[in-house]
Amino acid sequence: MTREALGEFEQLVLLAILHLGDDVYGVPIVDEIERRTGRQVAQAAVYITLRRLEQKGLLTSWMSEPTAERGGKARRCVKVTRAGTTLLRESRQALDKMWRGLDLELPGHR
Amino acid sequence: MRPLRVARWILEASLPRDVREDVSGDLEFRFCRAVDRNGRWRAHLWYLRQVVSFCLYFTIERLGFGRGSGSMRLGISWIDLKLAGRMLVRFPGFTLISTIGLAVGIAIAAGAFVLVSGFMDPSLPLPGSDRIVSLLARDVSTSRYEERVLPDLPAWQRAATLEHMGVVRTVSRNLIAPGIAPEAISLAEMSAAGFQAAGIPAHMGRHLMPSDERADSDAVVVIGFGEWQRRFEGAADIIGRQIQIGEQVHTIVGVMPDGFAFPVSHSFWIPWQASSSAFAPRTGPGVNVFARLSPEATLAQAEEELASIGQALAQAQPATHEHLRPLIVPYAFAYTQMHELENVLALRAIQTALFLLLMVVCVNVAILVYARTATRQAEISVRTALGASRQRIVSQLFLEALALSAIGAAIGLTLVSIGFSQLDVALQQVTGPLPFWMDLRLGSTGVFYGAGLTVLAAALIGIVPALKATGGEVRSRLQSLSGGGGAQMQMGRLWTGLIVAQVALTVALLPPSMFHAWDTLRSRTPDRAIAGQDLLIGGVTMGRTPEAAADPAQQRAFRARYIAQLQELEARLEAEAAVDAVTFSLVTAGAELAMVAEAEGRPLPPDPVDYNIVEGSRQGHLVRFNRVTPDFFNVYRVPLQLGEPARAGEATVVVNRTLVDRLFGGENPLGRRVRYVGRSREAGPGYVELEQWYVVVGVVPDFPSSRAADSRSVGRMYHAVSAGESYPMHVVVRVAGGDPSAFVGRVRDIGAAVDPAMQLRDLVSYQDVAQREQGVLRIVGITTAAAIGSVTLLSAAGIYALMSFTVARRRKEIGIRTALGADQVRILTGIFARVLRQLAAGAALGLLGALAIERVLGDDVYAGHRSVVLATSVAIMIAVGLAASWGPARRGLRIEPIAALREE
Repeated sequence: MTREALGEFEQLVLLAILHLGDDVYGVPIVDEIERRTGRQVAQAAVYITLRRLEQKGLLTSWMSEPTAERGGKARRCVKVTRAGTTLLRESRQALDKMWRGLDLELPGHR
Repeated sequence: MRPLRVARWILEASLPRDVREDVSGDLEFRFCRAVDRNGRWRAHLWYLRQVVSFCLYFTIERLGFGRGSGSMRLGISWIDLKLAGRMLVRFPGFTLISTIGLAVGIAIAAGAFVLVSGFMDPSLPLPGSDRIVSLLARDVSTSRYEERVLPDLPAWQRAATLEHMGVVRTVSRNLIAPGIAPEAISLAEMSAAGFQAAGIPAHMGRHLMPSDERADSDAVVVIGFGEWQRRFEGAADIIGRQIQIGEQVHTIVGVMPDGFAFPVSHSFWIPWQASSSAFAPRTGPGVNVFARLSPEATLAQAEEELASIGQALAQAQPATHEHLRPLIVPYAFAYTQMHELENVLALRAIQTALFLLLMVVCVNVAILVYARTATRQAEISVRTALGASRQRIVSQLFLEALALSAIGAAIGLTLVSIGFSQLDVALQQVTGPLPFWMDLRLGSTGVFYGAGLTVLAAALIGIVPALKATGGEVRSRLQSLSGGGGAQMQMGRLWTGLIVAQVALTVALLPPSMFHAWDTLRSRTPDRAIAGQDLLIGGVTMGRTPEAAADPAQQRAFRARYIAQLQELEARLEAEAAVDAVTFSLVTAGAELAMVAEAEGRPLPPDPVDYNIVEGSRQGHLVRFNRVTPDFFNVYRVPLQLGEPARAGEATVVVNRTLVDRLFGGENPLGRRVRYVGRSREAGPGYVELEQWYVVVGVVPDFPSSRAADSRSVGRMYHAVSAGESYPMHVVVRVAGGDPSAFVGRVRDIGAAVDPAMQLRDLVSYQDVAQREQGVLRIVGITTAAAIGSVTLLSAAGIYALMSFTVARRRKEIGIRTALGADQVRILTGIFARVLRQLAAGAALGLLGALAIERVLGDDVYAGHRSVVLATSVAIMIAVGLAASWGPARRGLRIEPIAALREE
């Protein structure tokens, strides 16, 4: 298991999966990130990140049954692994520690 | 509704295998949603944008440049990718011109690759297709193929290395069935072994069996899936139905599956019944022989065995088989002749020439890229100073080139895909269905080839200028930025050499291409010599068995019957109120057959005729002949300009105006004599005699002029015959008012009523014939025009870049000379001198090249307009060069002396 810190976009993808629950795949993940962050994301970036997270062991995936509306192709469902949730929690704790004391007053941004 | 096929291919080709299915499925799902929300076109645009995005993201990810990968092997980052995109937007003119050039270049090169691969390495959609072969017999004394090999079949069938050997020939019969209009159809008269060799079972019922081949068996037919659906509306009770084919009623015993068209493009199959023992050696019908290699046999073993059988036949029948050599070729080669070295070389030469066109485009774009890179020397120098390695800067410039060529490739491959579907339709209209192994689609191989071309183009247009731009003088250039003077990027000998070379290449290749495009456009103009809008044209044939064709007595009876039926057809057609006039001819106007002829007492041309002449002499004039019934010219509404019509049974002939000019030097030809001295392969024996003198009795104007075969004027001779005297003949019906196409059904009904064996084939209006031929020509014309246009545009852009460079480099000198009161004309001459020298050198080399091409291709490249075409071509290139130079030169003259000196 890697102990490499998570990038911002990787965190967004993992959190979107956790929000959506079971049987999540690419399309709703893209929609969820765009809905919650209010910004457009490059779809290719989401798929590359999913692939990379799986290679790091932070996700597992399996193929569902193919459907006609997808041109007869199957969808890849993903689920966050225990390692994934641990690393997410560590990333948040690191950020929380860094924010502590700055919550009310940011220098130069009164 | 699905995304464009070519876009899906590109996407899937660019994705790693493990995510290909789910990503393409997700995008297709989103595409469907986009269609519902935003409409079809926006959805397609959205999908294409995604394809480009995914291609770029995953290509970079695969190369290991990803955001989270830490160390970057080539030093490319996402910022470089964004920078590449920004550079495309920042130089819109450059991006537009380069993209157009690359799109056309990649489209033509990839299209040529797919077409050539289709011929050279055809893939038959049949199980174990690489083991299906064709057997041919070549006469080594004449280098021709002998098609009358049916008598040899029993000997060939003894080869243990081959199985399911059989014969096939295409025959034409009338299809007459209740509720559908009679129609002439093509059938495969085929051994039952053909279905086993192809290895495809019937969709319904059964295919033909060896028992069907017996002469006393019931007449049966197997039909194709498409015919079952189209003619019989997919009737469930089709098996056992009876249809009349020619004079015989056949029972439908099977339906073959969709897509099955073995041996070529057939959809009706009747059993082969002619016995090989009924014919003497090298007589009988022309057939194609097919077989499958036995399970354990190799092609080499089969070749060896067949060669020994050939030797045994040659010893047993030396009179006919001494020079006959049987050979085995991959199945489709029997139809495409791609086992002949000269055909392979010709195709490869065309492919290489079109690939070189892409290289010319790349060189031009490279010049533009170099010129653009020169404007960024400050950026490159600063990045170098900040620690960027040369490798990193080169990688970034390569990525910019890759983005450019990828956009060009995406547009180019889409154009090829659209072009192929247009070509497919146009070809099917002219030649009928294509052979079943011909797939006019880009396919995954084409897309991969296109991707390869994209990377190659990117390397050429990105890496070479980048290496030049990041050479040893970067540091001194950095010094020059701080005001200390020093080295600047140079347009060195390499680039000027390239510009001279490309002007030369353009001047050499432009004339034949221009002439070809002009010729194509000219042939599209309507034919004024014929009022053809109310003519209906078709072939008239009658079915007969191979035995009947071989027996002289039966031949005579067949001829007599044909003459009687044609006279009956003429009488019945003329009795119709809608018919104005009827005539018959050996071939249709514009498709006359080639011969070599000479006029009595007139000198012969110095050069022999360059045509496929198989009998007699090549010394003479190339002319074309037709055999026509007396009403022929009246029906076409072509007036006799001189003399009178020829009469059947007399050695007289009517000639056209071009023949009078060519053979008689424009003098009055009436009463003078011409004769044929050489016969082409297409003319065949029996229509006109060699060495027979014919007296010219009439002259007609040149017609038609809109036919593809007649794009250049040619001498024509018209012999008079009575209906049916030649076999087969074409009927031409002038319909009184209205659309002649609407009369097709009625003509077919009349034909079937005269004789069920009479087939009226390819009945179409004269206008349709011309339009169909022009459909193919239009595609060729558009492709040529696009290639000429993009090369000319890029040449102009290259010269513009060179001139801009020259002016920028000499800015200080121009400023000083202007300050010292130098004459503007002298300054202009100074600026233009270099580019003019390059243009002149390129034009001179190009003219030499054009003359060399003319020598290789023959005299008719410019059809007598050589000086005009070559002068136009040179003038166009010089005008383009000067126009491209004008802007930079004007900028040079506007340089303020003070400003130029202050830059020091």
